[in-house]
Amino acid sequence: MSRAAFSYDFPHRHLISVADLNPVDIQIIFERAAHWKALNRTTNRSSDHLAGLTVLNLFFEASTRTQGSFEIAAKRLGADVVNFAIEHSSAKKGESLSDTARTLAAMRPDIMVVRHSATGAPQFLAERTGLSVVNAGDGMHEHPTQALLDSFTLAQHWGEVGGRRILIVGDILHSRVARSNIGLLNILGAEIRLCAPPTLLPPDVDQWGCDVFNDLDQALEGCDAVMALRQQKERMSGGFVPSAREFFHLFGLTHERLEVCSPEVLVMHPGPMNRGTEIHTKLADDPEKSVILEQVESGVAVRMAVLELIGDVIRREDAS
Amino acid sequence: MSETSLAIINARLIDPASGFDGPGGVLIEDGVIAQFGSEIDVDAADEVIDAQGRILAPALIDLRAAKEPALTPDGETLSTLTAGAAKGGYGTVVLAPNLRAPLDKADGFDGMTKGFGRYGVRVLSACAATQGLDGQHMSEIGLMVRGGAVYAGQGDHPIANALTMRRLLAYTSQFDVWLSVRPADAALSTGTVALESDWSARMGLPAEPAISERIAIERDTALAELTGGKLMIDRLSTQAGLKALRQARRSDLEIAATTAVAHLTLNEVDAGALDSAFRMDPPLRAESDRLSLVAALADGEIDAIVTDHRPTPFDDKGEPFALAIPGTMGLETALGALLALAHDGEVELIDLLRALTCGPADLLGLPQGRIAVGAPADLVLIDGDQPWVCKPEDFESARGNSAWAGRRFQGRVLQTLVGGVTVYNSKV
Repeated sequence: MSRAAFSYDFPHRHLISVADLNPVDIQIIFERAAHWKALNRTTNRSSDHLAGLTVLNLFFEASTRTQGSFEIAAKRLGADVVNFAIEHSSAKKGESLSDTARTLAAMRPDIMVVRHSATGAPQFLAERTGLSVVNAGDGMHEHPTQALLDSFTLAQHWGEVGGRRILIVGDILHSRVARSNIGLLNILGAEIRLCAPPTLLPPDVDQWGCDVFNDLDQALEGCDAVMALRQQKERMSGGFVPSAREFFHLFGLTHERLEVCSPEVLVMHPGPMNRGTEIHTKLADDPEKSVILEQVESGVAVRMAVLELIGDVIRREDAS
Repeated sequence: MSETSLAIINARLIDPASGFDGPGGVLIEDGVIAQFGSEIDVDAADEVIDAQGRILAPALIDLRAAKEPALTPDGETLSTLTAGAAKGGYGTVVLAPNLRAPLDKADGFDGMTKGFGRYGVRVLSACAATQGLDGQHMSEIGLMVRGGAVYAGQGDHPIANALTMRRLLAYTSQFDVWLSVRPADAALSTGTVALESDWSARMGLPAEPAISERIAIERDTALAELTGGKLMIDRLSTQAGLKALRQARRSDLEIAATTAVAHLTLNEVDAGALDSAFRMDPPLRAESDRLSLVAALADGEIDAIVTDHRPTPFDDKGEPFALAIPGTMGLETALGALLALAHDGEVELIDLLRALTCGPADLLGLPQGRIAVGAPADLVLIDGDQPWVCKPEDFESARGNSAWAGRRFQGRVLQTLVGGVTVYNSKV
């Protein structure tokens, strides 16, 4: 389906949760991302789509890759980009998030890209400021652009993500990437499997439209793609697994274990990667299977698509 | 104390202590109830109020309200707290320790409680069981009880260590005061902001399982049995906890249980949009928990309903749900919120009022909270049907954090009397 088939404009001025998107929205994002991805491989990659708009990168949690990816995306679209890295915790606060939000909004930016350790912070900022907000990760809740870039990467290989069997293995409990991916893959009609020790699974996760496994070898059977997640040590308190070594032997991805998957299985990781804990170093570097660096490349393109589409909505609202 | 006499006639008199609910009136002389029932000697009264069939009940008693530290800029003072309480129908308010005002210093405690006399509403104070509510080092409970503390509490902080809990129960038993502790297993609950549920799991919120409450109640009631201490289960909030309470009550122990207005009237779905106003401690629970608590209230298993009134500065609610300071104000809204339970037929009005009047009074051995000859004339006149909308900007307090902001209520306080003196009158 091409966008021309619909008389439909991307309607969202925020991207806070994948649940806000319908399949057509996702299709539009993927089409624009494909455009930008191709262009990004040339030297003619700059555009002036967002010229005159200001994008604030508001990162309350340290990030290098996501922040860098958003910054490159916005700059390639010609936006003015300002990075705010704000050390924030409820314990040592100077001002409330509400006041921070209003202060920043008074500087008249157009889009805020927000990462925060608390669930709901992007929504909170959107409500308090009225500005367009892109969620770049909120606590253990959602990371929608990561899910979009993951599915986009798969769609580039397969055409359609629907009907494929995709396994997410590792620390599901603490993972916003897993939550967004489960939501998005369900919208796209994929068959989702989860594999983790019971200590790293959310309660009643089998109600989320996925099949849940504790045994990796069973979980891997017939999979078209496998996504490994890192253990979120910064969100953990106490021991969830006895050791990285034991985790690797029970849940680590290796070439041998992938033999029960589809022969063209793709291996993914949202990064940062702990080699030898959730994935064997040779598998991570295998260009036949691993699409980990492709995910990073897709990330810039998907974020360009999201910022571009939101920018269009802002301009439309401004004109009307 | 009022020197004159006052009669309130033609009321629907509800006295949960005696189980009376019927037409009648009250004659007040010298601040105490001189007569009550259908035969009131109106001629003896200097002033007569015709209640026109409205509800006349004992003024409400709250065992758990937080005061802000003195001199907090824009903070709630005892004057505004008691003004709000009077407006909400409360005649007696017990200040409970919380992290901002821990009430853990014996120095000046008696001076503080002596100063309470100047507010129209009766103010009492609990004291902290441990220093700074750290859950480890016992505070000078004995000296504070001598200074007027009516029970020892622990704020929102469970006692993690069973040995500490044992000693606290044993130590407080010599003063015959309740040890009031939030039932939560510290390891399961510390750092959590929601009930472990499908919603909180999907939202990625740190969450405590409901059985955390059950584990704590099982442990603490066993320790109460061992020590002979008086255990007050501070804000029972789950079905799992209720089961443990019932089990413990099969033995002959001194156990009391309170429940907060929020847990009787709201559930986690109210917090579904991650509105910081619904950030509570204990967190809001499932609807099944709420229904169990209401049924327990109707059965008399809940000794007291507490407002858990907690004013917070704007900045603390100016944070996303997970980071917001928990709590809601409640003194002005408790009755409005709770009357919905009676209007909806979930509980009889007299059973509801029991846990707001003689229930808490009996726990502390207070003479008020009942309509009886010689009892203090702490009374509230209620229009059970009057509709109103909760508007925090109309609160007596400078604070306005309320989980009921914008809610429509049915039933409002018309007049509150304490010791025969009107401390609130809606017509004035």
